[in-house]
Amino acid sequence: MPDKTITLSVTRFDPDLDPEPRQQSYEIPFKDDMVVLDGLNWIKTHLDGSVNYRWSCRMGICGSCGMNVNGTPKLGCSAFLRDYLPGPVVVEPLPNFPVVRDLVIDMSSFMEKLSAVKPWIIREQGAIGTGEFLQTPAQTEQYRQFSMCINCMLCYSACPVIAIEPEFIGPAAIALARRYELDSRDQAGDERLRTITASDGIWDCSFVGECSAVCPKGVDPARAIQQTKFDSTLGVLLPWGGK
Amino acid sequence: MLGRRETGLGEDAASGASTGGREAAPAHPNRLPTDWWRRNPRYVLYMLREFTAVPIAIWMVWFLVEIGRARGGSAGYRPHQSLAFVIFSVVCLVFAVWHSFTFLRLSGLIVRIPLGERTVPASAIVAGSFGLLIVATVVVGGLLILGGR
Repeated sequence: MPDKTITLSVTRFDPDLDPEPRQQSYEIPFKDDMVVLDGLNWIKTHLDGSVNYRWSCRMGICGSCGMNVNGTPKLGCSAFLRDYLPGPVVVEPLPNFPVVRDLVIDMSSFMEKLSAVKPWIIREQGAIGTGEFLQTPAQTEQYRQFSMCINCMLCYSACPVIAIEPEFIGPAAIALARRYELDSRDQAGDERLRTITASDGIWDCSFVGECSAVCPKGVDPARAIQQTKFDSTLGVLLPWGGK
Repeated sequence: MLGRRETGLGEDAASGASTGGREAAPAHPNRLPTDWWRRNPRYVLYMLREFTAVPIAIWMVWFLVEIGRARGGSAGYRPHQSLAFVIFSVVCLVFAVWHSFTFLRLSGLIVRIPLGERTVPASAIVAGSFGLLIVATVVVGGLLILGGR
């Protein structure tokens, strides 16, 4: 057993019992290479098997273990405990999403927004079966960073506009819409543009920029939103604008 | 000693039973608190920047009123020269420069000008934006100074 320990203060919420979420503290062994997710797994294995949270890959790819760590949205698998010494480390569910239980949030609103922007390549009728759709490296580079989104929803938790206007389509969905708009193989740009420029779309964004600051994959959703604002404005002002 | 201790409301969640087919209990809404903007220095800076638009707007309204006062020509026009107004104007100028700098600094990320399969480099767009700002400042400033004589 390591000599050093650290305290994790974890949000507990059982909707059948608790009127409000509460914090529960656990003292766990500390090792320099431990992340918050390791700490939660240690708690679940050794102290309290009833703690609920989502996780899967443990390597910042699946986007499942999003949680608020000391007030900042983080992936639990990427937040090293050593960065929060001497503790306590406050682990809470992602804000702006209903809490189902403990650290588990209801992500259905995000899934609806995501599907609304049709985040897949759309070709005109019949074209999908005609063969390969080649793309140069320069064309790929146009959308590459937006394609790194792992749908972890940290950007939604960091966005105060979502808190005020829950119907706002939000950073990740717009970044992914932008990713397909910029893809030379896609032919549904106008269709997506109508979705994200409508009510609850890009114009709700007041450019706080925190969505980009918290993104664990270096995606810049704020840039996607402002680019789309600029392009859609040009599209209105100039017949050839926004293309 | 390793272990757990509880603070806050209610019973130990570990004792919570499964819903066992009953209708699921409502989730907690978990909204950001109203003081969200104090929780992060970047949020604070954002709010400060937003609020600096208020004195700039007041100054602009004042400026429009002054243009109205000066429509009879420079002979009968006496501009405000109080120390308070000068200080207020300088503060508004600082705020306006801050807005301009932070906005134009990002123009390279926002404005996307296609150039074949690539786009015009962000650095060129930023340089062009600041260049246009300087040209516009010189032109408007020149018109105001020369026109006021």
